[in-house]
Amino acid sequence: MIHFHGVGKRYPSGVVALQDVRLQIEPGEFVFLVGPTGSGKSTVLKLIQRIERPTMGRIIIDGTDLGRLPPAEVPHFRRRLGVVFQEFKLLPDRTVAENVAFALRVTGVDPLGIMPRARWALEVVGMVDRAADLPAKLSGGEQQKVALARAIVNRPPLVLADEPTGNLDPAAAWEIMQLLSSINMRGATVLVTTHNPTLVDILRRRVIALQAGRVVRDEPRGLYNAAI
Amino acid sequence: MSLEASTTPPSDGVVGQARGRVGARARRGSRASASIEILRDAAAGLRRNALMALAATSTIVVALAVAGGGMLVSANLVHLASMLEGQVEIVAFLRDGLSPTQRQQVLASISASPGVRSAVIVDRGLALRRLQRSLGTPSSMSDLLPSNPLPDSVEVRVTDAGRIRDAAAGIQKIAGVEEVIFGTPVVDRLVALTRAVRLAGGVIAALLAAAALLIIVNTIRLTVSARRQEIEIMTLVGATPGFIRGPFMLEGAFQGASAALVTSIVLGIGYAGLAGRVAASLPFLPLLPPEAILPAALGVVWILGIAVGIGGSAIGLRRYLRA
Repeated sequence: MIHFHGVGKRYPSGVVALQDVRLQIEPGEFVFLVGPTGSGKSTVLKLIQRIERPTMGRIIIDGTDLGRLPPAEVPHFRRRLGVVFQEFKLLPDRTVAENVAFALRVTGVDPLGIMPRARWALEVVGMVDRAADLPAKLSGGEQQKVALARAIVNRPPLVLADEPTGNLDPAAAWEIMQLLSSINMRGATVLVTTHNPTLVDILRRRVIALQAGRVVRDEPRGLYNAAI
Repeated sequence: MSLEASTTPPSDGVVGQARGRVGARARRGSRASASIEILRDAAAGLRRNALMALAATSTIVVALAVAGGGMLVSANLVHLASMLEGQVEIVAFLRDGLSPTQRQQVLASISASPGVRSAVIVDRGLALRRLQRSLGTPSSMSDLLPSNPLPDSVEVRVTDAGRIRDAAAGIQKIAGVEEVIFGTPVVDRLVALTRAVRLAGGVIAALLAAAALLIIVNTIRLTVSARRQEIEIMTLVGATPGFIRGPFMLEGAFQGASAALVTSIVLGIGYAGLAGRVAASLPFLPLLPPEAILPAALGVVWILGIAVGIGGSAIGLRRYLRA
């Protein structure tokens, strides 16, 4: 699903974010990407979304070589990804249902099919009864669930979550992580960046650790910190 | 592997898109509905951001009014310059003793001379009466002079005051013309003045139009920038740049057109009222009649409003749509 072949990324400012990163994540895997701030986690996600482009190496996502992807095809490629952000990124002037439907509307989906699909996604995350509410009426955890519903409404084969629990209390964080696990159980590959050792240590999934732009650890059932 | 592999979400034909195997039929269908969606999204965008759209439109109204007002001032300055230049004339004194037929031949030759707009004969009797009127003593003039000492003359208006010397030289060569005068220093000063007035008019119009352009572009850019999160989300969920641009550019066009409408009403009513008052109280000030200048000036206001509204949106979006 995700293949990084010797990927390097140097930003125009001169900052080297990634160096010779080699990754292989198979379809259906659930992977934690951990590491200190500035280690390159967010850059990995940006490269997968083709927000940034590598300065070295090749990236292949779900069979698509991103280096050969014409700009006009980037939007169509992104429809195969579901993305969740730490700061939710919901539109404050639209209801929960409209926020989820937004991802379908802007990709030209048949208008008749939009609301049933949005409702399905909200059912998956348990937010269907809040469909008519504005985001401001929701707690942080609830907002993140809506963001999660928006990420999966297109039924993407790959879900990326960038610090999805960073702004949540432990209970809400646990709930979001369980939802991500459930989404993974339904077949999607899930890649989560996190700073939350508790969640990583409880779930015991594959852990890839980055440090100074390099992969320093890759364990199938890893812990947040390397076992001594 | 994908989410649908183990769940049963509603089927609506997007499976192919989610898997990246977008068929031609699906793309045609999405293009057809895209136009309606763009219109609907533009209307929704304006409704959701009504206050910001109102503020932007008001700013654009001020900018367009300043530019439109500048154009009206400029056009009137140019008109004034033309009027002043139109007053410049050559007087060709005719030789004594020409018969009426010869005088008409000279008049015809002068009229056909290069640079001549119009020419009329002023016979010596009319010339004397004018002189008497200007001196204000009609009776004493006849008493003082045993006979009319003034010659017949032809008063000539030129097409271009700047080339009055050439026109005068041509007239001087015509048989039957005794002497040609045109007040050289006055004409030179006048031509210099009208040239400066025309230049000032052009500069005023250009500067105000440029200022309006910048203000409108920046105003629209700000409205786009205020919605950058919406644009970012659109981009990340896979909206095409065209799909994102469409509603924003329509909104920009609508704001520009609304502002142009308000500006047209303000400038139209304002100028018509001003022209009426000036004509009544300052008849010597030659303002262009509203019907002669407003259609062109307001046309430019509409073009500026709509084109810059669309252009401003495109420029504002550019930085957010770099793939």
